[in-house]
Amino acid sequence: MPVDINLLKTIPIFEDICKINLHKLASIIYPVKVSEEEVLTRRGNTATSFYIVTSGNFMVFFKGGRSFTLHSRGDVIGWSSFLTPFRYKGSSVALTDGEVLCIPAQKLLRLIQENSELASKLIQKINHVIQNRLPLANGQPVKDEAAPHTA
Amino acid sequence: MGLEAIAEHNGWSIALLGICIVFTGLAVLSFSISRLHKLLNLWDNRHGAIRRIRKGFVSSRNQGPRIMVERSAESLEETVRQYHMLVGTLTDPFALPDLLNLAKKRGLYHPYSTVNDLIKRGYIQPDQKGFFYWKQQTLTKK
Repeated sequence: MPVDINLLKTIPIFEDICKINLHKLASIIYPVKVSEEEVLTRRGNTATSFYIVTSGNFMVFFKGGRSFTLHSRGDVIGWSSFLTPFRYKGSSVALTDGEVLCIPAQKLLRLIQENSELASKLIQKINHVIQNRLPLANGQPVKDEAAPHTA
Repeated sequence: MGLEAIAEHNGWSIALLGICIVFTGLAVLSFSISRLHKLLNLWDNRHGAIRRIRKGFVSSRNQGPRIMVERSAESLEETVRQYHMLVGTLTDPFALPDLLNLAKKRGLYHPYSTVNDLIKRGYIQPDQKGFFYWKQQTLTKK
């Protein structure tokens, strides 16, 4: 079931997107309820979906035990969908019951390829998340000012 | 005559019964055909449906209060004590997945939501390098 466009407007990653593009996004995004301990992504698996937290709490963990937790609406999971080799760098699990918006990666990439305006806005936001989280995923020290859970 | 013979041998009853059977059969068949598209949708999405049903069984089996302070079996102090003990067996700082695995092995109640509660209450804090440390908080009694 497609998501309501009014819900998308409240998500920080979509706040600069125009109404027409929001409608296009809404047609490919759908909500998914998750339960405590449910796994969303597994490290090494093909990155088929990109998730945005709407409620609940989540943990993302990487090889070596490094991890961070997500507690805010608008936090993203599965940014590997945007980077080659399109395999999840970390595993993510729900700490509590909640809900996420699921975006199939292929459909999102197709939408981005067809729409340069949408592409530039989304990629700019995702880049910020990737820059903060990539050091953790690669087992490198994180700068103190970088907050991994920034959406 | 013919009609009298029919009546004598319950012909009208049999005819009426036959009509009822035929029309009931036709009604059932038309209803089934009208719902066929839903059956086909269910078959197409059977994996998702099976997953949802399993999740429903698991959720109903594991139902219980998810907030620490509302648990009847454990008080907040006891939960903090238990997790503090677990953290003590780990490295400092520790990996959060290690704490969760340890809590699961020890059979602790709802370890994931409990750890989340401890994070939100400030007992478990991130070191911004991907690991976590324990910070004892002063319990305030209401």
